[in-house]
Amino acid sequence: MEKILEVKQVSKRFGKVTVFHQVSLDLYQGEILAIVGENGAGKSTMMNILSGVYAAGEYEGEFYVRGKKCEFRSEHDAKEHGIEMVHQEISLHRDLSVAENLFLGVLPHQGPFIRWKEIYREAQKYLNMVNLDVDPYEDVRNLSNSQQQLLSIAKALVCKPEIILLDEPTSALTESDARNLNQIIKKLVSQGISCIYISHRLDEVLEIADRIAVLRDGEMISIRSRAESTVDQIIGDMIGRPLYEMYNKQSAKLGEVVFEVEGLTVPHPYILDKNIVENVGFNVRRGEILGLSGLVGAGRSESMCAVYGYMKKTSGKVKLEGQEIRIQKPRDAISQGIGMVSEDRKGSGIIAPMTLRENMTIASLKDISKAGFLQKKREVNLAQTFYDMLHVRAGGIEDYILNLSGGNQQKVVLSKWMMKDLKVLILDEPTRGVDVGAKIEIYNIVYRLAQKGVAIIFISSELNELLGVCDRMIVFGHGQIWGNIERDSFSQETVMKAATCVEKYGI
Amino acid sequence: MERKKKNFFKSMLKTKELGILFILILLSVLVEIVNPIFLTYSNIMDVLRNTSYTLIIALGMTFVLIARGLDLSVGSILALSGLVSAAAMFYFHLPIFVAVLLGLLCGALFGFLNALFVVKLKIPPMIATLGSLYMARGLVLVLTKGSPIYPLPDAFSQFGKSYVAGIPYIVLVAAVLALAGHITLKHTTFGRKVYAIGGNPETAKFAGIDVNRVTFSVYLLCSTLAALSGILTAARMGSGQPSVGDGTEMTVITAVIIGGVSLNGGAGTILGTVLGTLLMSVLSSGMNLVGVSAYWQKFVMGLIIIVAVGFDQYQRSQRKAA
Repeated sequence: MEKILEVKQVSKRFGKVTVFHQVSLDLYQGEILAIVGENGAGKSTMMNILSGVYAAGEYEGEFYVRGKKCEFRSEHDAKEHGIEMVHQEISLHRDLSVAENLFLGVLPHQGPFIRWKEIYREAQKYLNMVNLDVDPYEDVRNLSNSQQQLLSIAKALVCKPEIILLDEPTSALTESDARNLNQIIKKLVSQGISCIYISHRLDEVLEIADRIAVLRDGEMISIRSRAESTVDQIIGDMIGRPLYEMYNKQSAKLGEVVFEVEGLTVPHPYILDKNIVENVGFNVRRGEILGLSGLVGAGRSESMCAVYGYMKKTSGKVKLEGQEIRIQKPRDAISQGIGMVSEDRKGSGIIAPMTLRENMTIASLKDISKAGFLQKKREVNLAQTFYDMLHVRAGGIEDYILNLSGGNQQKVVLSKWMMKDLKVLILDEPTRGVDVGAKIEIYNIVYRLAQKGVAIIFISSELNELLGVCDRMIVFGHGQIWGNIERDSFSQETVMKAATCVEKYGI
Repeated sequence: MERKKKNFFKSMLKTKELGILFILILLSVLVEIVNPIFLTYSNIMDVLRNTSYTLIIALGMTFVLIARGLDLSVGSILALSGLVSAAAMFYFHLPIFVAVLLGLLCGALFGFLNALFVVKLKIPPMIATLGSLYMARGLVLVLTKGSPIYPLPDAFSQFGKSYVAGIPYIVLVAAVLALAGHITLKHTTFGRKVYAIGGNPETAKFAGIDVNRVTFSVYLLCSTLAALSGILTAARMGSGQPSVGDGTEMTVITAVIIGGVSLNGGAGTILGTVLGTLLMSVLSSGMNLVGVSAYWQKFVMGLIIIVAVGFDQYQRSQRKAA
């Protein structure tokens, strides 16, 4: 096989801090090389160097594409050398059509006139390459997350790259969408494209990658072929110590049923006269961790948002400790002792211009004030307590939350609810975009809350996580409940069959 | 020594308020050198008095902008409320207290409408308050047919001119309000909520903050303060003038932005607003004293906005890089 990319002892410093130390790496034609590592291990730095975000001269060392030394000045240069980057955060223009997005920046034109006909005809070709079945005229706004992710890849293909850099392409996708995406990547690679693939999902990496490279603290720890790799080994390399049990499940003593939902129906947020959730009911016991599984669009998040009062519901009863309660807005839920961590950390989890302290106490203003006046001392003490308890890694509680990594931000978001005496805590994708180390810490926080008697509702698109963490699982399929599975009977197969509405279980 | 100086300057640049203060002092010294009238008692009081009328509104605007809103209607509300008070005294011979209250109520009513448009009808704040700007100004013209209302009772006009311990009444009013504003913003749960809904309204909602109620409050506060400024302006002039407050919204917004309040919401302080407002008055007084033509003054104001906001953006990008 031909060596297409050769990275030789590249280092990158920010000020005095070396984030990337003498990393070398080869990429062969038609292979998928996965790079894994905790957040801050240097994966993104690597991508940024290769894709021209950091111009030549901003780093030390050199790299070659097909034996030719590369000194990129911009991302544009990288594109011209056949390197395309697909960013983790989908960066499409939501109000432009699918085809316009595809060709943005390289619109075929004749003089000053854009050749629209050609664009829409060509678009179909690229959509086919990624098995994306949407109308090129459709606004991107109306596409689902996974469709948008596929479109981002199609967009990268437009420039006919030799090397594609994928930064966590599946982090926002469900299990089956992710599988579909990975199939497409495999297909592209079999056609001769080479691919560097960053992911947090090791199951995925072990399935798709030809070789797996582990970065830790800016150094290349190991590169192994897939056949030689095991999950334990990879995680061990990532965190620098052996890891026997990632989830390390700790069960709490289950108490009586504390929270019940009956006959919940939620209208679809975008489609008129359609329900996204229909007549759903379930309950949670004190100290229980209830997993909500299902494909994106199955209505897990929507049901919980409706229960929490963040979305409107058509009908449905919510009972807390046997008493029916009325929740019309999040405020009502909180006053009853129900909290929720949303799936969109940036959009509805943190307040970017605020400090850690202010973010932590934002739901507890009543507890830290007297007659409407804030009591600074009490606030500082409270925030500091949880800052220490959760081992938040930052410059202190007066640091701004934007300076933190995803995992640490999430801990701050969790602490917002830990300082309240909750009966029920809803967690929607609490470990999305979080590195392995922080994930483990978050699981432990969840176990601790459960042991304190809090009923936890845990939504996740990572099936392994739910299998590892939960006591029981409810499976959503097309807006209804298809499975209710106790931990003893957990298996990937049962869950997938229920989630895809093939076979009901336990109902 | 050299190094120390540099560090001092650097830390100065880091705190936005100190930066403005620095420019303020520099500007005052420059003007004083050219024209020593600047730092005389009467001119200082003049500058402070002019600052106060703007500042009272700017305080409210600070709350609105931090909460990610915008209020363009303050200039028109200023005029309308002044006139409502004036009319109440002139046509209906109502007691001053009642007239003032009516003026404030009129301001509050428009604040309520603004909030209603923004919160319930989901009209973007710029459009909603632009509508109010025209409606209020229209009512002014309907009410006065273009001519001023005067004379007003002596006791009322006197308030606009009187001093306490050598300081104009209005300056004291503005100072007390600024202090109250600072305490509200920094030390009350309400203030924290204002920052929260400006920083991220969705997160605020998730955390149980009644975003609509807080939004209502800030618009109500802003327009009521605009009304107060209008009534005090009427007292100062001894008449209800239909043309006052034309373009005040821009002066106010400029001052607040120079003071470091973010148009994206979630950031800003009352101290910054006070300094920003003061800087604007010193600038305009200074330019008069130095002899800059009125035409050029507008140009300079525009330049100041670009410099102030440009500098702010530069600081931010530096901070990100660090």
